[in-house]
Amino acid sequence: MNNPKFRTGAAMQAELQSPTATKPNPVLDAARAGKYLIFHLGREQFGIQVLKVREIMGLQDITAVPHTPTFVKGVFNLRGKVIPVIDLRLRFHMPEIEYSPRTCIIVVSLLGSDEPIPMGLVVDGVAEVINIAEADIEATPTFGSDLDTSYLLGIAKTRGEVRLLLDIDRALTVEQFEAFAKLSDAVISGAD
Amino acid sequence: MAESIKNESVECELRLLIDEMAARSMSVPPGDNGEGQAVCENFAVIHRLASEAGLEDVAALAQSLQNAPLSGDVTYLRDAVRQIQEKMETTTLQHKISKEVPVVSQEMSLADPELVADFLVESREHLVAAEEHALALEKEPGDTEAVNALFRAFHSIKGLAAFLDFDRVYRFAHEVETLLDHARNHELVVTPAVIDAILASADFLLRCMDAIESGVLAELPATEGIVVEQIRQLISACAKPPENSNESQLAPSCVPVASTLEDDIGALVGSTPSVASTTPDNGNPELPLTEKSATESSPSSARGKGNAERYSIRVDTDKLDYLMDIVGELVIAQSLMRTEIMDKSSTNWNLTRNLGQLTQITSDVQRTTLRMRMIPIGQLLQRSSRIVRDLARKCGKPVEIEIDGEDTEVDKTIAEELSDPLMHIVRNAIDHGIESPKERASAGKSAVARIRFSASHEGSQIVVQVSDDGKGLDRAKILRKARERNLISNEELTDKEVAELIFNPGFSTAEVVTTISGRGVGMDVVRRHVEKLRGRVDVESTPGAGTKFIIRLPLTRAIIDGLVVRVGESRFVIPLSSVREIFRPAESSISTVQTKGELVLLHNRLLPIVRLHRRLSISPSITDPWDAVLIVAESEGRQFCLMVDELIGKQEVVVKSLGQFLKSTPGVSGGTILGDGKVGLIVDVQQLEVRA
Repeated sequence: MNNPKFRTGAAMQAELQSPTATKPNPVLDAARAGKYLIFHLGREQFGIQVLKVREIMGLQDITAVPHTPTFVKGVFNLRGKVIPVIDLRLRFHMPEIEYSPRTCIIVVSLLGSDEPIPMGLVVDGVAEVINIAEADIEATPTFGSDLDTSYLLGIAKTRGEVRLLLDIDRALTVEQFEAFAKLSDAVISGAD
Repeated sequence: MAESIKNESVECELRLLIDEMAARSMSVPPGDNGEGQAVCENFAVIHRLASEAGLEDVAALAQSLQNAPLSGDVTYLRDAVRQIQEKMETTTLQHKISKEVPVVSQEMSLADPELVADFLVESREHLVAAEEHALALEKEPGDTEAVNALFRAFHSIKGLAAFLDFDRVYRFAHEVETLLDHARNHELVVTPAVIDAILASADFLLRCMDAIESGVLAELPATEGIVVEQIRQLISACAKPPENSNESQLAPSCVPVASTLEDDIGALVGSTPSVASTTPDNGNPELPLTEKSATESSPSSARGKGNAERYSIRVDTDKLDYLMDIVGELVIAQSLMRTEIMDKSSTNWNLTRNLGQLTQITSDVQRTTLRMRMIPIGQLLQRSSRIVRDLARKCGKPVEIEIDGEDTEVDKTIAEELSDPLMHIVRNAIDHGIESPKERASAGKSAVARIRFSASHEGSQIVVQVSDDGKGLDRAKILRKARERNLISNEELTDKEVAELIFNPGFSTAEVVTTISGRGVGMDVVRRHVEKLRGRVDVESTPGAGTKFIIRLPLTRAIIDGLVVRVGESRFVIPLSSVREIFRPAESSISTVQTKGELVLLHNRLLPIVRLHRRLSISPSITDPWDAVLIVAESEGRQFCLMVDELIGKQEVVVKSLGQFLKSTPGVSGGTILGDGKVGLIVDVQQLEVRA
């Protein structure tokens, strides 16, 4: 999945020379600057734009849904609405861990075709909300074909800490789910 | 002006000829050279007419098609006719666009989008009502209330259009309004041709609304000229007002009304305001023209429309959906609290009584919220009767429509989804079921056929029936077709089973594919549509007497009766509408096929067993069918057994969507909140069915 945002001529040139020395793109950075909710998965810290966050809650009773990708834990009841829950660790191919009292669910609003789609994300813990300026954001370096980093808006360096800024709409798309559903169709129809 | 009218009437003639050719080319049997030749000769006529009307492209195409050799292949003929039709459409469209004033004038960009949106909503409502009144008027040509209602509808649209500077809509509405004015002053006899013109006008204006909404001028329908022509012909043909005093009293009062309207409109559009008119009520010049000024000066019209209609307001469906979700939570919270309290303090008399009150009120709130989305099914049936009328006229079979139970309320979304199936059924009835007037006469039936729509509540379901008094299902023909398609092997079928065959995909007994129906997609689409709404459709037929289709649907889409079952650690809900029986099998009745397929013997029939835990990839607590519970489910006429660990109970559940991401998950069709607040998944029986 090529992220067209990063494929500016300057960026490509810079990447070929050195992975970290990319020219800052003012238009891009302006879109990325703002308030972020910081949470962590293991030792990595991530940030999600505050505008996308609807609420944060503790762990809920989750009902598993068959034939969904492994990172889909299932669905739960949010004030009468049935909302899907994703385990972000599994989504980013990290090893699964047991949930602790600090584990929480961040309910975000994803971009939908007509209206926003609510989605719950299970994370190890939530830290704080901080303001990130353009100057602190750098484009995500590529690590070759080993790692798919297209769902990152960029990397922020603030007060010596590195935070990965998440483009949550790219990390979770309806197409990914539908593709998976098609694969499971064989099982459901009894083609043993 | 005269030139353009002449051109338009030549064009009209041309169109009729092309349509006729299209119809005839459809009925030419394959390989028939003679008939095909005759139809081809018409290309010469088309060429002549097109040149006369100034449509050079069409003329040139017609000439080339005429000169090409006819290979005797009927598909060539049909293709040629289709080409001419397309050419006709594109050419006349270009002509119209270059000649006419655009639908919206330059000031459109200044018009407040909210005003435009309101205009569209109101106009569409007027047009839908107009259609209803037109049909009523056709049945009862002397119905003055209907004529007046029609006049008011077009008059209102005209006024609104003037206010927003929609010149073309305004001018067109004015033409129709003039026609209706003559009608309500008894200067015009209401014939079926008049009704046709009115209905065509309503259709044209509806398409204008669509054009305005999408802002695409080029999409404007090209039929405007034809309809205007029809209207003008009808007006000029209407009888002169008779000499008696009553009529002459009315006639003069028409004129000042008209000029008042023109004056007021002139004032609104910005031309020099004119001298005050003769009628007492000029109305507020700032307001868009309401029917007040017209009705108050015209003595024959009825009172204002506010009286008979109920008060209503428009509510965003999103708000209603949210309200329903929250009310569902309220019910659960209330019931959880009740259980807790009853456990601990059931001896507290006051508390128990108050709790009882709360429960009552909560159920009431829930019931009322559900009813808010319900609309009377009459609107939907009205639309169907319009289709019946148009089709009947096209086929030359006079049909009378009866509607019963139009006040029966049904959820708005269900009403919308029902319109397609009803349309298919009606088309079939007219095309195949109802005989031509000649056939009916020789069978001793009334010349006018009857189609009856009836709607009623039956328990928690709504039942819609469509019956006709035609010739019924042709058993022999159906059996023959079914055998041709290898759909059946067993020769002995009951009447009911034969009737069921028509719902088979790809089944159609029409010899020739007509433009109306007979493409073999009708009935199976109807069944699938209805089953998607968790309903069922059945058919009953008596040869020679008629056919009846019965559609049963749950009252609201949102709530279904479900069977809550346990498989392993999870709970699932199976829609009760798909369940036929529940039982625990004896070990002896279970048999296997090739050690993989399992069958159970029930009532002397062998049914396949579907292990729910395997299909949903869950580890079960019970592995042998004879220790488990078997649920006989039915989907698309076929039965099979679902194996579950335990039956928990029957429950009315509110269906909730799983959202865009999970809605395509196979095997589950939705979720619901169970009594303890947790989510239970609703099983999609159709997808679990054993595939051969």
